[in-house]
Amino acid sequence: MKQSTSEKVGQLLIVLLLILLCVSVLYPFLYMLAISLNVGSDAAKGGVYLWPRKFTLYNFQVVLGNSVIQHSYLITIARTIIGTVSGLLITLLAAFGLSYRVLPLRRTLLGYVLITMLFNGGLIPFYIQLHELSLLNSFWVYIVPSAFSAWNMFVMMKFIQGIPDALVESAEIDGAHPFRVLWSIILPLSKPMLAALGLFTGVFHWNDWFAGAFFISDQNLIPVQTFLQQLLSAQDMSTVLGSNNNIEALARGSMMANVTLMSIKMAVVMVSALPILCVYPFLQKYFVKGVLIGSVKG
Amino acid sequence: MLARVAKYRWQYVMIAPAVVLLFLFSYIPMAGIQVAFKDFHLGYTIWNSPWVGWDNFSFLQDEQFWVVVKNTLWIAVLKLVFGFPAPIILALLINEVRHSKFKHFVQSVSYLPHFFSWIVVAYILQSMLTLDGGLVNQFITKLGGNPIFFLGSTDWFRPMIVGSGLWKEVGWNTILYLAAITTIDPQQYEAAKVEGAGRLAQIRNITIPGMLPTISIVLILSMPSLIAVGMDQIYPLMNPANQPVADVLDTYILRSGLQQGYFGMATAIGLLSSAISLILVLITNQTAKRINGEGLW
Repeated sequence: MKQSTSEKVGQLLIVLLLILLCVSVLYPFLYMLAISLNVGSDAAKGGVYLWPRKFTLYNFQVVLGNSVIQHSYLITIARTIIGTVSGLLITLLAAFGLSYRVLPLRRTLLGYVLITMLFNGGLIPFYIQLHELSLLNSFWVYIVPSAFSAWNMFVMMKFIQGIPDALVESAEIDGAHPFRVLWSIILPLSKPMLAALGLFTGVFHWNDWFAGAFFISDQNLIPVQTFLQQLLSAQDMSTVLGSNNNIEALARGSMMANVTLMSIKMAVVMVSALPILCVYPFLQKYFVKGVLIGSVKG
Repeated sequence: MLARVAKYRWQYVMIAPAVVLLFLFSYIPMAGIQVAFKDFHLGYTIWNSPWVGWDNFSFLQDEQFWVVVKNTLWIAVLKLVFGFPAPIILALLINEVRHSKFKHFVQSVSYLPHFFSWIVVAYILQSMLTLDGGLVNQFITKLGGNPIFFLGSTDWFRPMIVGSGLWKEVGWNTILYLAAITTIDPQQYEAAKVEGAGRLAQIRNITIPGMLPTISIVLILSMPSLIAVGMDQIYPLMNPANQPVADVLDTYILRSGLQQGYFGMATAIGLLSSAISLILVLITNQTAKRINGEGLW
C-alpha cells in the first residue's frame, strides 16, 4: 500500500518520540552503572555520562564487603523465596477450593474475600494488629500478612474455571482426592498463570521497603530496599562503612579517598536492581499474559 | 446441608488458611477502626482502651492538617490530569507503529521501570537532579545557568513527583489499552478506508471509541488509590526543605501514628481519607454510567 507524505512524516515523528521514551528509560541505568564503575573522586568532577572514565570495581568491593548489606541481601532473598512460595500455595489452594461452583456457602465465602478488596482498616489498625500478634520486629511480618492475595486469588480462580470440567470430573470418578486433582491436573495446566502471579509476588517481595522501615526495628532483619531507603538521605558514609568487614583492607589500600558517597550509592542501587534486570527479559511474556487475564476477563 | 458440606470438607480445608489470614489481617483491622474514637496506647488492646468520643478528630481544627489536605489534592489532581491520559496516548502511538519488532522493543522497554521500587526511582532522581554533580545540574552550569536544588525545592517537588510517576508507570498502564485496541473489529477500519478516512480520522472515530469501556473502567479503578497518593513514592523523597508541599495524608498518618504515637488521631485521619476515596469511587461510577451507559456495577 502506498503511503502519503503526511503519513510518512507522522510515522517518523512517532518513531522518534518512542525512541526518546526508550532512551529516557534506559539511560538512567547506564548512567548509574557508569558512575558505579568509575573511581568516585574522579566521577565527582563531572563528565562521566555513558562509560566509566577511570574504571574500577572498587565501589562494588566496598558495597559487597559490607556486612549489613550482605545480611540484608540474605533477608531479601529469604523473604522473596519463602514469601512467593507460601503466597502462591495459599492463594492457589483457596482459588481451587472456591472454583467448585456447587460448593455450599460459595457465594458467602466469595463475598467475604471481596469485601477485603473494597474496605480496609488503614495503616494504624493494621499496625496494632501486627503488634498484638507479636509480628512486629519479626521476620514473619514479611511473610504472613501478605501470604494471601485476594486479587491473585480471583485471577487464579477465573483461570481454573476455564479448565474443562470434564478433566476434573473424570479424575473424580476414578476416585481422586481433591488434593490429588489439584496436584495432577490443575497444577500442570496452571503453570503459565502461576508463573505470572509468582513473578508479581516475587517482585513485590524484592522491592518492598515499607515493612522493613516501619514494622522492623532490628537492623539485622531489614531487607536490601529498606537499607537503600536509609542510605538515600545519608549525608556521610558511616552507614555504609560503619560495618565493613574489610575496612582494614580498605585502609591499607588507602583507596578510601577515591570513594564518594554518590559512587557508593550508585553501586548499592545497581546491586539491588541487577537481579530484576537479569530476569526481566525471560519473564516478560508471562507477566503481560498475567495482567491481561487478570484485568480484561476479571 | 450438613451432608453436602461434609462432602466438600477438603475444599473447605483448602480455603481455610485464606479465611483465617483475611480474618486476622483484614477483618480485625477493620474492627480496629474504633481506635479512631478511643484513647489507645500500645499495651492496651483495641477493646479495652477507653472511648473518647470525637476527641481524636481535633486535627480538623489544626491548620497543618488542611495544608496536608491541600497538598494531597494537588498531587492527586496533577497525577490524574497527566497520568491518566498519558498511557492512552502512548498506546495510540505504539499502535500506529508498523514495524512490529520495534513495537515490541518499545513495549518491553517501557514496562521496565514498573519493576523497580520507588526507592530505586528516588536514587535515579537523586543521580540526575542532585545539586552537587547531578547530571541535569551539570548541564545547567555548562550552559551558564545556576544549579537548581530540585530535590529540596517546593516549586519543583510536584513536577518531580508527577514526572517520575509517569516515567515509572506509563508503559505498564498501556498494556490494557493495547489489548483493548486489538479487540476492535478490523472491518471497521476497512470500511473507514473505503469512506476515505485518514489515520487521524480513524483514530478519532474508531480506535478511541473502541477503547472507551476500558478507559472508564481504568478510571474507576484508579479512584481509590487517588487519595492514597504514594506513601511509597513520596516518603522517600520528602525532606525538611520540601515538606511544606510534600506532606500528604499518608505521610501525615505515618508520622503522627507510627512515629509520634498518636494512634487514635492517625486512625481517625485514615478513616476520613478512606471515606473520601469511597465517595470518589461512587461519583466516578455514576459519571461513567451516565456517559457511556455502563459503570463497574
